[in-house]
Amino acid sequence: MTTRISPVAWLAAPAGLFFVLFFLLPFGVMALFSALDGNPLQRPNVTFTGRNYARILDDSLYVESLLSTLKIGAVTTLVALLLGYPLAHWLARMRSRAGHALLLMAVIAPMLTGIVVRTFAWITILSDKGVVNATLVGLGLASAPLPLMYNELGTVIALVHIYVPFMVLTLAGVIGRIDERLEEAAMSLGASPIRAFLEVTLPLSLPGILAGSLLVFALAISAYVTPYLMGGQQVLTLPMLIYQQVAATFNLAFAGALGVVLLVVSIVLVIAYNHVLGSMARREDLA
Amino acid sequence: MARGTLGRRVYLAANGAILFFLLAPLAVVAVFALNPTPFIQFPPVGVTTRWFQKFFASPEFMNSLWLSLQVAGAVVVLATFIGAAAALALARGRLPGSRVLTALFLAPLMLPAILTGLALFQVFQLLGLGRPTWALVIGHTLVAVPYVMRTTLAVLSDFDRRIEEAAAILGASPGRIFFEVTLPIIRPGVIAGGIFAFIVSFDQFPISLFLVTPNRETLPVVLFNYMKFDLDGAIAAASMVSILLALAVVVLIDRLVGLRATMRI
Repeated sequence: MTTRISPVAWLAAPAGLFFVLFFLLPFGVMALFSALDGNPLQRPNVTFTGRNYARILDDSLYVESLLSTLKIGAVTTLVALLLGYPLAHWLARMRSRAGHALLLMAVIAPMLTGIVVRTFAWITILSDKGVVNATLVGLGLASAPLPLMYNELGTVIALVHIYVPFMVLTLAGVIGRIDERLEEAAMSLGASPIRAFLEVTLPLSLPGILAGSLLVFALAISAYVTPYLMGGQQVLTLPMLIYQQVAATFNLAFAGALGVVLLVVSIVLVIAYNHVLGSMARREDLA
Repeated sequence: MARGTLGRRVYLAANGAILFFLLAPLAVVAVFALNPTPFIQFPPVGVTTRWFQKFFASPEFMNSLWLSLQVAGAVVVLATFIGAAAALALARGRLPGSRVLTALFLAPLMLPAILTGLALFQVFQLLGLGRPTWALVIGHTLVAVPYVMRTTLAVLSDFDRRIEEAAAILGASPGRIFFEVTLPIIRPGVIAGGIFAFIVSFDQFPISLFLVTPNRETLPVVLFNYMKFDLDGAIAAASMVSILLALAVVVLIDRLVGLRATMRI
């Protein structure tokens, strides 16, 4: 089974070099320095220490922030799935070519708009003088502005909006490959459309649900701008604390330790995501 | 799903509402970009272009816009070359461990960009290089390469290998096959990848946060810092410019290659 490596393989060399130098090496340096008690370029006698990690465990601020980051990530993922699934199904089953193209544009255009810009859009909608509160107060439906922002609610709403396109695209890819005739067969055998969906399409789209959820969760726990601007000071996520360590105290080793914690969670998600995609591809090869 | 008319109506209404949720925020920005009050006010009280004038007249905004465009231009060149070459190698090179390499090259999509920024910042500090503009280009290229790879791989996997084999049987050299058969066929995927690379770099925030200096900031960083203190229409006007650019990119990719082909749907 030894196939000769083709000379074309050398085309991976620039990417390989680039990623080793500017991706793997920096992450390695970050991890290494987070476990040293000084800068080895300035002091030759540095030793390994666990103090940065001990500090994370000792101070409830960091543990709570990790938990709240994971919680916001989980809620965002769940809502993105609930909103993303119907849209992905519609996109995947759209027969009209023009309709499909327009819907795809409607999903991708927000995705290609910057995170800062989309967060600003949500501030104009959810702030005290924003569209929703101005309308509610103006119509007399609320006597005072509702607290839609500067809390977890506003953060999650904006995060869902930012990451739902990733969910839709992942799911639509999987749903599109499910043979529609399976659903039709179920219905011609007497199943209601809802039952046909629940017992045929939904189980077959599980890998897409899993892959999309892992992707959105990984993106949501890394968010910085949105929790910062939408959460006020009420929401402290891990990425915010990491940047704070650099900007406010210039403690790169401790920022690196917090970074390693976030990185470990993310790497687990990436491996799981690749595993789901890999087994999906293998099953298609068999089919 | 199309049988019961009531069920169908609920299905379409739900999807309409979700689509509204997705698109309305972009439309709302336009309202505030044209509303003359210097703070958020709804309903709008009039129409003005003063915020667009303020945006385009402000040296702070214009310098950052120019820097963002320059960085994005460099990223397009670098990421397109690196990403398309790697995609070809992975699809055609019979490389051992190509699955691991693919996962590595796509990793910046899922790993926290804020950590990529932190790690690069730390290395540049250690080497005493500070925060040069090319550090921004490198950071953005890392997150742009996966897009180029994905669009190129998408085209490569749809591509009928027999065309290349036919050329070989007819006596074409491997080099000639590459330039006259393979390259023209994958070109749409590479172009779409390049356009994605542009917009990904133009919008990039978390990596830039670590690599900009106070007098040399990209547009998203300037917008973010401005928004911490002031929410006047200039931000809305700047946002409008960014939204229109995203729309232009989407239409451009659809016209040139078809969005469907690049998104693997």
